[in-house]
Amino acid sequence: MIVIDAASPVPPFEQLRAQLARQIQDRTLTVGARLPTIRNLAADLGLAVNTVGRAYRELEEAGLIETRGRAGSFVSAAGEEGRERARRAAADYAAVIASVGIDTGEAIRIVQAALTSGTSAPASS
Amino acid sequence: MTREPLPDTDPPARATDLRLAGAWLARHDLTYTRPTPLLANRLAVRERARLAAQVILAVLIIASALAATSAFGGSQPHRPLPLLALTALVAGLLLAQSLLDRWVRRVDQRAGATLSRRAAHLIHPGWRTVLGRPYAVFAVATFTGAMALAASALTIPDPTVRQLAVILLIGLLGVTAINAMQLRHLLRYPVVAEDEESLTADVIMRVEDARDLTTPSVQWSLPMVLLFGTAPGWLSAAAVAYLILGLAAYIALRARTPSSTTVARRAMSTR
Repeated sequence: MIVIDAASPVPPFEQLRAQLARQIQDRTLTVGARLPTIRNLAADLGLAVNTVGRAYRELEEAGLIETRGRAGSFVSAAGEEGRERARRAAADYAAVIASVGIDTGEAIRIVQAALTSGTSAPASS
Repeated sequence: MTREPLPDTDPPARATDLRLAGAWLARHDLTYTRPTPLLANRLAVRERARLAAQVILAVLIIASALAATSAFGGSQPHRPLPLLALTALVAGLLLAQSLLDRWVRRVDQRAGATLSRRAAHLIHPGWRTVLGRPYAVFAVATFTGAMALAASALTIPDPTVRQLAVILLIGLLGVTAINAMQLRHLLRYPVVAEDEESLTADVIMRVEDARDLTTPSVQWSLPMVLLFGTAPGWLSAAAVAYLILGLAAYIALRARTPSSTTVARRAMSTR
């Protein structure tokens, strides 16, 4: 469900964009799911067509949805592919950890440090 | 739903609408939902629109019967004027239905504009949800049956029966167009809701209206009014059989399909 609160200080397009992005990320909206047309969603939510159009455009720029011409807008597979790559990398990392004999706690700390610094720190024992 | 008191302009009427809205909610197992001005207003308008739509169909039946009698009232066997008048009336009734739908939409838009929160589901209920396959099949079957009766009457060499069949076809095409217009409106007009419960109420209203549309009042009555007794015996027997079979199917459909509330709740849970 999408709810737009007219009294909120957050602009309506941002409310819509954030709710759609959240639903795509938590897979309430699955890959390939078709989104309503801009005009229909605008009518249902009592918003201007441009407002919904802007939210869709930003989601498209973020790679969360894709527009296939006149067929409409769909939830993009890009997010799902990213997850799959992360899963494969994690499996490779787990294999490296096992081969060099690092315990689980330290392996997790290494990952946390890498995520925090934003760099791919080499595993060192 | 909104909990604010009413900015009343007509308190007695609004109170009646609210009471009726409360009864409607109770009938649809939404007893924990308070009847709001939004819902009361929408239901009241919907009731008036339904009544007007029934009047439109009644006018169509009466006009068809009048066209049939006046077409054969004179000395000439073929008088095109009643047919033209009936066609013009059908066009007028279509326009009236369109204006009625526009009125309902405008009232809904005004009601929606007063909401501080507006909610919608991302998947709009389609015809499979709103009407449902069994009701769609039934509607197609009753239209086809009535059309088949009219078409078979056209094959009879008697000019009187053939002209009655033409009147029947004009009437049936008119009611098909009116029903199609109403269904299109039901499927396409915007959702007016502010939370999960009012979204459910919105879907229930659509399902109820769609089911009402499939009640074949004109399709059943027109062949009986126009052909029965005038056409050969086999055609009258076919008209009676069509009516009885249709009625049995309608009763079975009503008894065996889930209620509009159940359909709406299922639709909401899959969204």
